[in-house]
Amino acid sequence: MAEMEEGIQRLGRQDRAIANEVQKSVRERRPLTLRRVITNEYVLHVVSAAAFLTLWHEVAASGVFKGGLCTPWEVVVRFRGLLTDTLAGLTLWGHIAASAQRIAIGFVLASAVAIPLGLFMALNPYVNAVVKPVFDIFKPMPPIAWVSIAILWFGVGEESKIFIIIIGTFVPCLLNAYNGIRLIDPELYDVVKVLGGNRWNEILQVSFPASFPAIFAGLQISLSLAWTCVLAAELVASRSGLGFIIVQGMKFTDAALVIGGMVMIALVAWLSSLLIAGLEKLLCPWRRDIRDL
Amino acid sequence: MTHKIECRHIAKVFIQKGKQRVHVLEDISLFVRDNEFLVILGPGQSGKSTLLRIIAGLETPSEGEVLLDGRPVSGPGPDRGLVFQSYMLFPWKTVLGNVELGPRLRGVPREERRRIAQHYIDLVGLRGFEKHYPHQLSGGMKQRVGIARAYANNPQVMLLDEPFGQLDAQTRYFMEKETARIWETEKRTVLFVTNNIDEAIFLGDRIVTLKGKLPGRMDRVWEVDLPRPREHTDMEFLKLRHTITECCELTL
Repeated sequence: MAEMEEGIQRLGRQDRAIANEVQKSVRERRPLTLRRVITNEYVLHVVSAAAFLTLWHEVAASGVFKGGLCTPWEVVVRFRGLLTDTLAGLTLWGHIAASAQRIAIGFVLASAVAIPLGLFMALNPYVNAVVKPVFDIFKPMPPIAWVSIAILWFGVGEESKIFIIIIGTFVPCLLNAYNGIRLIDPELYDVVKVLGGNRWNEILQVSFPASFPAIFAGLQISLSLAWTCVLAAELVASRSGLGFIIVQGMKFTDAALVIGGMVMIALVAWLSSLLIAGLEKLLCPWRRDIRDL
Repeated sequence: MTHKIECRHIAKVFIQKGKQRVHVLEDISLFVRDNEFLVILGPGQSGKSTLLRIIAGLETPSEGEVLLDGRPVSGPGPDRGLVFQSYMLFPWKTVLGNVELGPRLRGVPREERRRIAQHYIDLVGLRGFEKHYPHQLSGGMKQRVGIARAYANNPQVMLLDEPFGQLDAQTRYFMEKETARIWETEKRTVLFVTNNIDEAIFLGDRIVTLKGKLPGRMDRVWEVDLPRPREHTDMEFLKLRHTITECCELTL
């Protein structure tokens, strides 16, 4: 017993104990050795990235691809220029904003309809029975297949691009909201029932919060699909956007413009997915990983 | 005098895959006195969880009826609190949020339900953990929250469904002691389902044993006439343990 009391006293400020259960927090400090530096995750990241860029540079400088490949540095210089110079009347910022705006509008419109619809389908078998057959026809259709019909319907303006983004993001948004509710452990509803809650309490206290992680997973998938869609639309017909930059580069055999455009898309798409991840962290502070459900 | 809970000739048949009939319970008749701690002891697959779910109102019996204070039970209600084997805490709510759920659903004002929740969080020994989320707690602590949540709704009857089945032996032993302490602090009529004979004798005023293998049938009722707090190593305790084991041939 004395031993146990001693043990409890030795616990740090962050430690807590109840009966025989102790939550310990430990911070370990190990000496810095060459071996640890080399095997450090971040050091390896830097080494890997540097090796890739060097290889790229050497291949480009050797001239194997002639005009088809430029060095990484040339890409940087080309795009630094675009920050102030214009391409078809817009700077780089202008083109990024054009693509981002299309995505934002299409993404918000699609998720605003798809998520509630998916939730309704999961919660109400009649809604499900009515919507599902139609949805199943559209589900396997790749969004890119809609490009031509969108241009026929809406012309080459903003509407056709937003339309394609809506089509592309709708399916994963809906499916994830739907599955998010379908996969809830039914015993969680029993908790509300036993405490005296009604069906509405069940939906409010269990269905909605429990489906949050799945909805956000759907938003992430939708977002990357949205970038694919906007790019496809811009490649076919547009006067602005990151896809337009790539097409211009292709027309004028300007490899720096094409490669830079690709890198910019990756960068912006990555930043936007960080935004969604941040939003999820804000709204679901309880969520560590989905298995906890 | 009417008993707090009475089960009259309860039978339950599940229909599996459309036509296959599975008899889970057959002719269960038992009663629980007011503020009594009744343990239902049976091996796995003896339908004891189903029996508890029927009493909770989550399943309807195929035959027979459950009476609470002499009135038939027709569905779940706040007069019966249930503690789940797999905790079933809401991972999106803090400890406080989980415990105050019952009063909240009944429309108890915020200040009042905070006070109630805090009282039961203190009772189960979780003071200081109010703002923790379930994933930050150990198994034993999670079930403490489960018990506090059921208590906070102020039920007349507590139903516990193998509440410590997922815990390691050491923690389980502690939790049994805690359960006895909590029950003696705030007496309720308790129906406790377990497959562990030590747990049954340690906690129960009476023990109802079920026969193994489906369908679950009543075996015997045992009075546990040992003074509290009980000791697992007590001579009388061990004698009773031996008798029950001999009689039931519990293959646990």
